[in-house]
Amino acid sequence: MKKPDPRIIFALVLVLSSFAVIIREDLKLMAGLMLMSILCALAIGVDFRKMFRRLKRLLQLLLVVSILRSIFAPSGTILLESWGIALLTVGGIEMGALVLLRFGLFLTSGAMLTCYPVRMLIQGMVQIKMPYEIAYMISVGVRFIPQLAEELKDSLIALQLRGVVIEDLKLRKKLSLYTYLLLPVVVSSMQNAKELAMSMDMRAFRAYQSRTSFFKLMLCPSDIVILCVISAFAVFMSVVLIMGV
Amino acid sequence: MTGGFSLELKNVRFAYSDNEKRQDFSLYVEHFSPKGCTALMGENGSGKTTLGKLAAGVLRPDSGCVLYNGADIAKRKLGQIGRCVGYLFQEPSRQLFTAHPLTEIAFALELQGISKSEAEARAMELLRQFELEHIIGHTTYTLSRGEKQRLAIAATMVMEPQFFVLDEPTTGLDKRRRNILVQTLHTLLAKNIGILLISHDREFADALHADIRIMDGGRLVDEKA
Ligand SMILES: Nc1ncnc2c1ncn2[C@@H]1O[C@H](COP(=O)(O)OP(=O)(O)OP(=O)(O)O)[C@@H](O)[C@H]1O
Ligand SMILES: [Mg+2]
Repeated sequence: MKKPDPRIIFALVLVLSSFAVIIREDLKLMAGLMLMSILCALAIGVDFRKMFRRLKRLLQLLLVVSILRSIFAPSGTILLESWGIALLTVGGIEMGALVLLRFGLFLTSGAMLTCYPVRMLIQGMVQIKMPYEIAYMISVGVRFIPQLAEELKDSLIALQLRGVVIEDLKLRKKLSLYTYLLLPVVVSSMQNAKELAMSMDMRAFRAYQSRTSFFKLMLCPSDIVILCVISAFAVFMSVVLIMGV
Repeated sequence: MTGGFSLELKNVRFAYSDNEKRQDFSLYVEHFSPKGCTALMGENGSGKTTLGKLAAGVLRPDSGCVLYNGADIAKRKLGQIGRCVGYLFQEPSRQLFTAHPLTEIAFALELQGISKSEAEARAMELLRQFELEHIIGHTTYTLSRGEKQRLAIAATMVMEPQFFVLDEPTTGLDKRRRNILVQTLHTLLAKNIGILLISHDREFADALHADIRIMDGGRLVDEKA
């Protein structure tokens, strides 16, 4: 099956992530939204094995949030208690699950975008009248994220090889390490950005006012249908939320 | 004189696992135990840096073992390794952590509980040795390539490791600074400190009377003409 137009995906991502933010307490609605986004993601061809590897870490977060919520804002049936303090409540778990779903929604939305070549995404952004410079900046920024992670890892290794045994340090010194680690990463990303901007200028990036492109995106009938479905869904969700069902 | 430190790689196999699609590079070293100054040379991508990282515990072998003084380092933490092995990365800017050259050298000592004044005195001494006094007031990230390189070398030396892995230490150095580095490394060698040098610079390796080993396609090959 042909993938839908990237602009359709922008609309979908916009709808999904807006509702992920708007929905506050309604677990069922959030779960429904998640299910819907997973179905969409599958249809586009997101690699869920990779996603689940990331989700593993999120599960820990879920637990932490559940416990914190249970302790500081206890609600619902108490499941686990010690010295009169509720450690785990049904309300807490619900809150944790909400947070997890919200993150999951952002992740699936992001994953849907990564299914498209960068060139196509930029073209999509330009054709919804976004200035080319900004579209290009966004795509470059996204491309730098894995590189930042890589650099952070390298710096951590270099720091340890200076003879710093992180595990043995006192907490206060451990915290000071983070500033040491961030410096090379922030500095190098700033320098990268500056050099990239310069080399773009050298290649006459903005020499001509209007930039045309050989490659154009076209909406086909099935895209229109999908767009209608997404709009209908957005309207339906808004109604559900406003009526407070 | 420090008691001689011995580094040994035995039947080490390694492949980068993160890129499943192109597993074209794999490293195998049957036995490698550099003595004194050993220089690794070879083409780009032949695996020199990979071997250096394996020797310093940055990468862990898929099979086989790396031994320091006869003991396997598989269970050692990187920070503990860092106290006996100094490592200079090919890229200097990722190993500079602070804004000031003096603290850059001194902070690792301070974290070990050495007083600030003493740590800075030792840092000063190293800066002088590498002719870097004039950059004391500068910020580390606006230094020139060669200055960064020398600062990074000085910083790895402050911990007084017993073995050095230097990944292309001469890139970006002018002739004079290169000669200073030769002298500094000679004093280390005189103290019986081992050096694994990764370099394309034959002259530099010869100046250190290095034992030259050639790498090709992830294997150590014996030097031919
Ligand atoms: N992190 C990594 N992930 C995957 N492959 C890698 C990684 N680092 C290096 N490689 C690959 O391993 C091979 C050996 O790389 P290595 O850096 O050891 O070469 P080198 O001999 O140091 O080259 P140079 O002279 O350019 O520094 C190369 O083909 C490289 O593409
Ligand atoms: Mg290399």
